[in-house]
Amino acid sequence: MDITKLPLFGMISRRMDWLSQRQTVLSQNVANSDTPNYQPRDLKALDFRAELRGQMSRLAPATTSQSHLASRTISGPNRDEKQRPTETTLSGNSVQLDTEMIKVADTAVDYQLTTNIYRRQLAMLRTAIGRTQ
Amino acid sequence: MDLQKAMRVSASGMAAQSTRMRVIAENLANADSLGETPGAEPFRRKTVSFRNVLDRQIGADTVRTSRIDTDKSALPRRYEPNHPAADGEGYVLSPNVNNLIEAMDMRQAQRSYDANINVIETSKSMISRTIDLLRG
Repeated sequence: MDITKLPLFGMISRRMDWLSQRQTVLSQNVANSDTPNYQPRDLKALDFRAELRGQMSRLAPATTSQSHLASRTISGPNRDEKQRPTETTLSGNSVQLDTEMIKVADTAVDYQLTTNIYRRQLAMLRTAIGRTQ
Repeated sequence: MDLQKAMRVSASGMAAQSTRMRVIAENLANADSLGETPGAEPFRRKTVSFRNVLDRQIGADTVRTSRIDTDKSALPRRYEPNHPAADGEGYVLSPNVNNLIEAMDMRQAQRSYDANINVIETSKSMISRTIDLLRG
């Protein structure tokens, strides 16, 4: 059995993926905090409802004929989103280090939460199998 | 892996900030470097500019220092007739380095450097959490 096929594990790995991508984007913002004309970016927030729907409805229509419409793919890549600048320096840079730091901390906390959920879920599976640690 | 990418980007930021620090140090060290012959140019303040570069290998925007220019602002003149570089009227051209500006610049460089270190540490803790998952 593939463990990532379980809905919760699938969502956890998606979430971890999203968080590490966000960390990359935030690190770009921080590294470019003195680059002229740089606009900070962020990822589109992960939509929990859409994720859930994507995980739960596993029955995708198959295209058996060429005249069929292709089934929609559930979630596209996480696009970079330009943020609305709140404060711009004379050189045209609008990165605010404090905001970026808060986001970095948020990402780290969310990541910790996600890995903890993963552990718990794994422990529950172990209990179900009948092997307690 | 995305987290390693993040660390590479932050490292490029730190490298850029240390170049900036180096230039600030040059400016401060040469704040009193005058010319030696009459009418000779003294030290001119150097400035650093940053540029964001797409690193194709990791697919992310890193920072580079694009070039180091000299500050074109006017050189202040100082009345010092007994100096070897004094012109006919007794004035010496002195460097256009302002200690306060350099100190502010240094603070800003330090702040950005710290921010990059912070991001690296967070990325590192995220990586070690991922590795910890293997322990079960």
